[in-house]
Amino acid sequence: MSHWSESTQERAREIIDLYPQKRSAVMPLLYLAMAEEGHLTETGMEEVARWCEITPAQVLSVASFYTMYKRERTGKYLISCCTSISCMLLGGDEVMHAVEDESGVPHGETDEEGLLSVEHAECIGACGGAPAVQVNYELIEGVTPDKARDLVTWLKKARPVVVNTDEMQELFGGRRSFDWAIPETDGAIGPFPAFQPLGTVESEGGE
Amino acid sequence: MGVLAEFLKGLAVTGKTMIRTIFGDGLVTTQYPKEKRQKPQRFHGRHVLNRYPDGMEKCIGCELCAGVCPAKCIYVRGEDNDPDNPTSPGERYGYVYEINMLRCIFCGLCVEACPTEAITMTTLFEFSTTSRNDAIYTRETLLMDEKGNVPHMFPEDPLIEPKELLTADGWVRATAPAGMAAYEGVQMWQRTAGPADWSPEPSQDEIDATTGKSEDGDG
Amino acid sequence: MTSGQPEFVTITIDGREHQVLSGEMLITAAEDSGTYIPRFCWHPRMTPVGMCRVCIVEVDTGRGPALIPACMNPVSDGMVVATQSDVTKKAQEAVLEFLLANHPLDCPVCDKGGECPLQDQALSHGPGESRFVEIKRNYEKPIPISDLVLLDRERCILCDRCTRFSREISGDPLIEFFDRGNKTQVNTFPDHPFASYFSGNTVQLCPVGALTAGPYRFRARPWDLLKVVSSSLFDTAHPRIEVHASQNEIVRYTGVDNDATNHGWLSDKARFGFEYIHSEDRLGAPLVRRKGVYEATDWAEAIDVAADRLGLIRDESGGDALAVIGGAHGTNEDAYALSKFARVALGTNNVDCRLGDSLSSHFLAGTVDRATIGQLDDADTILVWGPDLKEEHPTLYLRVRRAAQELGAELVVVHPRATGLDDVAFRKLTYRPGEGFDLVQALDDGRYPDVIEALDADNVVALIGIASHADGPHVAEAVAALVRARRGRSDLLPLNSRANTYGALDMGLAPDLLPGRVGVSQEGVGRLRDHWGEVPSVPGRDTAGILEGLISGEIRGLLLVGADPVRDFPIPALAEEALEAAEWVVAIDLFITDSTRHAEVILPAETFTEKEGTVTNVEGRVQKLNNIRPGPGQTRPDWAMLDDLAHRIGAPLGLSSAEAISKEISTVAPAYVGVSWDLLEWEARDGVVVPLEGESQLAHIPVAVATDGKRENGLSLHVARTMYDDGVRLRHSPSLSRLALGPVVLVNPLDATALDAVPGDSLRLVTVSGEGRFEMVVDEGTPAGTVYVPFNQPGATALGIDSAVEAEVADA
Repeated sequence: MSHWSESTQERAREIIDLYPQKRSAVMPLLYLAMAEEGHLTETGMEEVARWCEITPAQVLSVASFYTMYKRERTGKYLISCCTSISCMLLGGDEVMHAVEDESGVPHGETDEEGLLSVEHAECIGACGGAPAVQVNYELIEGVTPDKARDLVTWLKKARPVVVNTDEMQELFGGRRSFDWAIPETDGAIGPFPAFQPLGTVESEGGE
Repeated sequence: MGVLAEFLKGLAVTGKTMIRTIFGDGLVTTQYPKEKRQKPQRFHGRHVLNRYPDGMEKCIGCELCAGVCPAKCIYVRGEDNDPDNPTSPGERYGYVYEINMLRCIFCGLCVEACPTEAITMTTLFEFSTTSRNDAIYTRETLLMDEKGNVPHMFPEDPLIEPKELLTADGWVRATAPAGMAAYEGVQMWQRTAGPADWSPEPSQDEIDATTGKSEDGDG
Repeated sequence: MTSGQPEFVTITIDGREHQVLSGEMLITAAEDSGTYIPRFCWHPRMTPVGMCRVCIVEVDTGRGPALIPACMNPVSDGMVVATQSDVTKKAQEAVLEFLLANHPLDCPVCDKGGECPLQDQALSHGPGESRFVEIKRNYEKPIPISDLVLLDRERCILCDRCTRFSREISGDPLIEFFDRGNKTQVNTFPDHPFASYFSGNTVQLCPVGALTAGPYRFRARPWDLLKVVSSSLFDTAHPRIEVHASQNEIVRYTGVDNDATNHGWLSDKARFGFEYIHSEDRLGAPLVRRKGVYEATDWAEAIDVAADRLGLIRDESGGDALAVIGGAHGTNEDAYALSKFARVALGTNNVDCRLGDSLSSHFLAGTVDRATIGQLDDADTILVWGPDLKEEHPTLYLRVRRAAQELGAELVVVHPRATGLDDVAFRKLTYRPGEGFDLVQALDDGRYPDVIEALDADNVVALIGIASHADGPHVAEAVAALVRARRGRSDLLPLNSRANTYGALDMGLAPDLLPGRVGVSQEGVGRLRDHWGEVPSVPGRDTAGILEGLISGEIRGLLLVGADPVRDFPIPALAEEALEAAEWVVAIDLFITDSTRHAEVILPAETFTEKEGTVTNVEGRVQKLNNIRPGPGQTRPDWAMLDDLAHRIGAPLGLSSAEAISKEISTVAPAYVGVSWDLLEWEARDGVVVPLEGESQLAHIPVAVATDGKRENGLSLHVARTMYDDGVRLRHSPSLSRLALGPVVLVNPLDATALDAVPGDSLRLVTVSGEGRFEMVVDEGTPAGTVYVPFNQPGATALGIDSAVEAEVADA
């Protein structure tokens, strides 16, 4: 008696089969639940609990630990500004304030339209190119407060279907940590590449 | 002969004292109850249950007074506060509060133990009763009303001085008010019910200024 | 367990050398050697987690002193521990200062204040003052996380005790840490309350006042409690408890850690089942019915009225026209008095403490190879074929769960539907109610080779009872025979509900038993004759037989002792008719119940916490109950009333006090030789397993007797007890009575679809002996083809013991 679509259920079965114990599949299934409904709802977590044969409380315990499991509705573009130490030292807080000011959305919230969500993030592994900002987990390095304002304005006006790190780096980025070799055309949160066994990812993104 | 002299000698002491007490200043007898002596400031008299200035009861029903009482004369039972209409701040209030005044030895340990200064003592000591039941003071007899008036069991009695009940609150204060910076300059505790009539706690700077301590000295 | 001698290592604690067991955690080793190391998260019955860090001490294992948590590190040879050094003290003070940084100091309003480990250890090991002046964590003050437990997250110090208990011990992790990080909190999932049968244990475990119990909330403070150790009668294992009373009122029970039975854990029923004691409906005076109305009277008159008629019936129609039902809820002493009263004063063997839903008296009382609860820990295989232990035998449930989960026993569970043990079972077999015998045969024929292989292990413990009302006692005997026939050593634990059934049977409250596990027609009777005089030697009628006798008029008078057959007998209509037809009913009870309202005289009894005595649990362990308060009004212990009744009938029993009765038992009852109150109070506080020496004379060996396999095509009815039902004591305990399920029927989704019913629909169920309407609950734990109706729920009608049932959606 699942609330999920047939394809999601099929996918859930596949994921569970990868693990010796059902409960081990809780994290990929949470992503699945998030993909199904846009964010993690109580029904979504109960569903995951049923699949993994653990209690909903245990699922929520996992889900509430990781910030990338969104338990509230998130906008089309999620802007994460890093405020950990390297970025903080190089002006990450100012970038964060600029984003908040320009978008009118404070940390952890979403605008009424459902377009932008703003959050400050802990280290996103781009210390070399600090301060760094992510849009839908697509990285931009070397962002200044002014560039950040431009980024928000651009997102509001252009409303790209897929945000792409290379494109945004070109438009709003500055100093990079290193030269990124492989261009990602589909974006990092394409259909769950991280949870497929190595070497089985299809070139044109899943399904 | 000798006997009479001894007798007169003794009588002379009586006579001298008599004359001194009638005409002189050696009078030690107070004409109680017409006259009353000034009682010591920390005289241990009957108890009073206090309220906060906003009318909330101070008693939270913690039973520490009952626990510490050496005469085991206090009986307290707590009850859940109605969240919408609380009797006292917090979750619990003293639902039953009884002191058996016949057993009480007026040691004041209950006042010491009370974490909220809910129970204090007045200097009132005249409360003889004609039945043992009346000597058990209940919540009704102990608790001041919302204007700060404390009920007395025999308000008509000419012997008692109901005024004294009003000086009940807050004379024992072992610790600093809150120890929080936010309360600096805020009037916290008061001597009697109603608007507070004493100055707020001074700030640490003011205390340092008056005691002559400087900041760099470490104590 | 590994064999061989325990190994010892030498460690130095604060300059003194100690020999301690190798492998022990440092915190235990230190405590056993007399040094207390502070702790919050560590608990001897749970795995160490090292959450609270307050047990860090300076330890030198040869590489220089270092601070390590004592609860996480096993001792090693040559370890040098400094629990009083400056470094240790500074570290512990710092940890306590951190723990107190967010802990609100509302001790005066906190239920734990006065018995709080955080308070105590802040005083003994804390810094004395805090440098924390910032604002503390703020949460909504207590939120009810279940019907019985409240949670105050401000007070929580995140020790993981409650969450660990629910994860490891009770196996229902419904509370967990959320938002882990700097805002960690313990909570339940929204709309999934902490509905565990063992939730009360977390209240006792909590080292602060974060978890408090609804029934105890603000009822008393620790320093005005009187305490006495006793054993709970809400559980057949008789878990050891401490009874806490304030102003003559029982305010709570707490579990006492005890290796033999409960390890300190209690089910919520055993923990919170005290409210009935103070119920306003308790009888405080003897009642005599006059012109159809009960009138309170005095003891002399009530005894006169009750005894005169009983005596008259005995003189007119003989002892066989009299019968006794009940006695399973009292002490052994009361049961003995009742047994003696029935045999000596009434002259009858029509005595039964079971209510038609039990194993045979010989199986329950006389199993030769009876297992002890402790044997579960060493078992290779555990077979549970009977009631859902979680519902009916919570202490055994926890012990079996531990054995299967932690100690490596292979668990086989057989039950008509899902049970609480399924998730730790190595094999779960489900059968349709009424077809248990077929499954026994299938096993015997080798249909389930893995189960048979498990049963062939060296050390097998089998917990056998009646799983469903449709299964007769024969199925259980067949199971027992099957287990005994296997290769290895097998021990049986026959299961039965009602707390002191085992004690009552040992005192002879069965038609074919006499005190001390002796059959009525056996040799041992001679010994009894010295004390009892002539006793009838032909087995009497059991409860079903008594009820039939009452209907047919062969039995005229009935004594009901704490029994409520109208609610508790599997076919209540029969009980109702019998009590209606009875000429003279005398009842000894706490309340006016559906059964006792048929009585002409009701005598008010004392209950648990009001009387002293011994009880015998499921493994035959005799423990002592202690009293702490007087009974209300004119209540008296059962034995005293029975003695008076017997006097009036003209056959004095010669009983003078409960302790004197206990001495008489140890002389008369062979299995109880050597059991005395002195022994139980001083030498064996955890009780002794009887018989202390020798074998039981009954020596019952179960034999498989073929029963007719019932093959029904339609739905099968599974009726079994739940933890919370409409029992007399629970009905008068407001906190627990509202937890009963009510008139519900649990149906598999497939059957629900077949019946064209949706959850919440009213289903009409019809069996041979009854019909009723039940609210349908869809439940995947109930297999298709079976419908499950919890027995004796408030507002429910009983459906009898037949497995065939017709179901249809009732019109609204």
